[in-house]
Amino acid sequence: MSATTSSARPQVASPTAGVSENKARVVTPSLIAVYAILVVLCIVWIVPVIYTISTSFKSVQEFMTGAFNFFPAKWVGDNYMRLLESSASYPVFSWLKNSLIISIISAFLSVCVVALAGFGYSRLEFKGRDTLFFVLLLISMFPTVVNIIPQYRIVATLGWVNSYWACIIPGLGNVANIFLVRNFMKGIPKELDEAAKIDGASDFRIFRSIILPAIRPILIVIFLFSFTGAWNDFLWPTIVFNDINKMPVTAGLQLLSSQMQGYSNMGTLMASTCLAIIPTLLLFLFAQKYFLQSLNITSGLKG
Amino acid sequence: MGIINESVTADHVAGKRKTLDERLHPFMHAFPYIAPHLIIFAVFGIIPIVFGLYISFTRWNLIGSPKWAGLDNFRLIMTPGTYFNKVFFKDLWNTLLFVVINVPLCIVVPLLLAVLLNKKGLKGAGLFQAILYIPGLISVAAGALVWKMVFNSQYGMINTTFHLQVNWLGEQPWAWITIFVLSLWAGIGGNLVIYRSALSGVDQNLYEAAQVDGAGPVRIFFSITLPEIRLPLFYTTIMTTVGAFNVWGQPLMMTNGGPAQSTQVLLMDIKNLAFPAGPSAAGMASAMALLLGIILMILSIIQIVFMNKED
Repeated sequence: MSATTSSARPQVASPTAGVSENKARVVTPSLIAVYAILVVLCIVWIVPVIYTISTSFKSVQEFMTGAFNFFPAKWVGDNYMRLLESSASYPVFSWLKNSLIISIISAFLSVCVVALAGFGYSRLEFKGRDTLFFVLLLISMFPTVVNIIPQYRIVATLGWVNSYWACIIPGLGNVANIFLVRNFMKGIPKELDEAAKIDGASDFRIFRSIILPAIRPILIVIFLFSFTGAWNDFLWPTIVFNDINKMPVTAGLQLLSSQMQGYSNMGTLMASTCLAIIPTLLLFLFAQKYFLQSLNITSGLKG
Repeated sequence: MGIINESVTADHVAGKRKTLDERLHPFMHAFPYIAPHLIIFAVFGIIPIVFGLYISFTRWNLIGSPKWAGLDNFRLIMTPGTYFNKVFFKDLWNTLLFVVINVPLCIVVPLLLAVLLNKKGLKGAGLFQAILYIPGLISVAAGALVWKMVFNSQYGMINTTFHLQVNWLGEQPWAWITIFVLSLWAGIGGNLVIYRSALSGVDQNLYEAAQVDGAGPVRIFFSITLPEIRLPLFYTTIMTTVGAFNVWGQPLMMTNGGPAQSTQVLLMDIKNLAFPAGPSAAGMASAMALLLGIILMILSIIQIVFMNKED
């Protein structure tokens, strides 16, 4: 048995396979070099974040002395307490709440709109369907810089300045997401819907019972993308919000950084930064698999 | 497909003659599904394009009705010596500088890292990748505050650790360097993940054959790896370039355009002109946005042409 398999192997493949197996077991100098580069780089990447966290626990007195410690000489929660107390002038917690509401609603509505439209453009038959979708895709490639000013005017006309809707609704027009869902649906056999149709199932029934469960993975990806996209959106919120209590955290941080200067505010500024970082980090920890998968889906289909 | 559909819709329609209603039926059937997106896209995707093109040729303060000005805005931008000419070309130059340095960094660094992470026998590649990826999930606003603290001239980690007195954020070339550091820190994660999966898709036999032929690692990288992953490489290059032309948050937060407006980029002035504290010059801002948009459109066209050729 073993004699037949080894003799069946191509002659060139067996020596090289043997070499690579050896390499995997023995730690070579080049592997050590790779580890060294990666470890150093990861330290550089992560240290600023740790420094931000540690700074947020330093007291004002420690800054005043000018002594530099990477970690606080004494860990204090003063900066976070100050954010709680001065919520009238720096409503960081309101910003976080606003960002959370905007991001969750954005992600949820994106999934709904995209799933419905994806179904419409890939499973329902109507004249000019593919042409219509192609035209939408083409229009969506138009550079967004040109749209910002008119979009503001439209949002203002709708009375959405300082409203969550200003940050939620425009993003729902995203065409790339429908493109992803549409491509994903191509992998679901059409026979399934047709069989259901013969059994008398309505379009909506087919959508709900067959398509929706099948496209769950791509919908999770779109949920995460929309959530982090909305959470990190920066330019647009600074345009459509001027009420300090209603803005999301990115716009808030910008105000804060221009107002909080000098040593007495450093810790508080870093505390706000930490709070703004936490939600997406938590999301990443719980859904890491989907985040990494999502990039491959988007690049794989477009590229 | 059409046959199946008609046999279903036939149940609903009594008459045999094809009425307008009958012909529209499939569309009306699909309409509830595509309508939510279509309406939002029309309002926030199509109307703004038409409106945006129009106001580039007007004088407009964002409130009243735009006054037609023909090519005046563009003429002012192109006439040497005018205020708008100075602003536009200074910003364009700074934006280009950012693009020219940031894009290669955000392509080459993740590519090399992907090659390292895919090395045989390496353990913990997932953890390394996660650490390098995480900053990409932090908003520019928060990420900038992190690095502003690190580079702070008085209390910052770098100056205090190495006993330096460098005015990182207020002097060139340091101000640009801080912006590039922030952009690289936040910008490599996405491309890294894409390159890694592209590399793992390359046929291993190609590498083995090359090794048998005696090719070194550098030769293998340029003759096999690069050509094999050219599509994702091209896709990420275009995406990164478009993103870099739209740079705004990093210089705004780190240097606020300074020192002496040397890091002032196009989007900053477009926004400041359109949404200032005082009267708005939305027409002029739109004209500048359109000029930037043309550059971006050319990039998109190159992308579409190239991708179609490859298919």
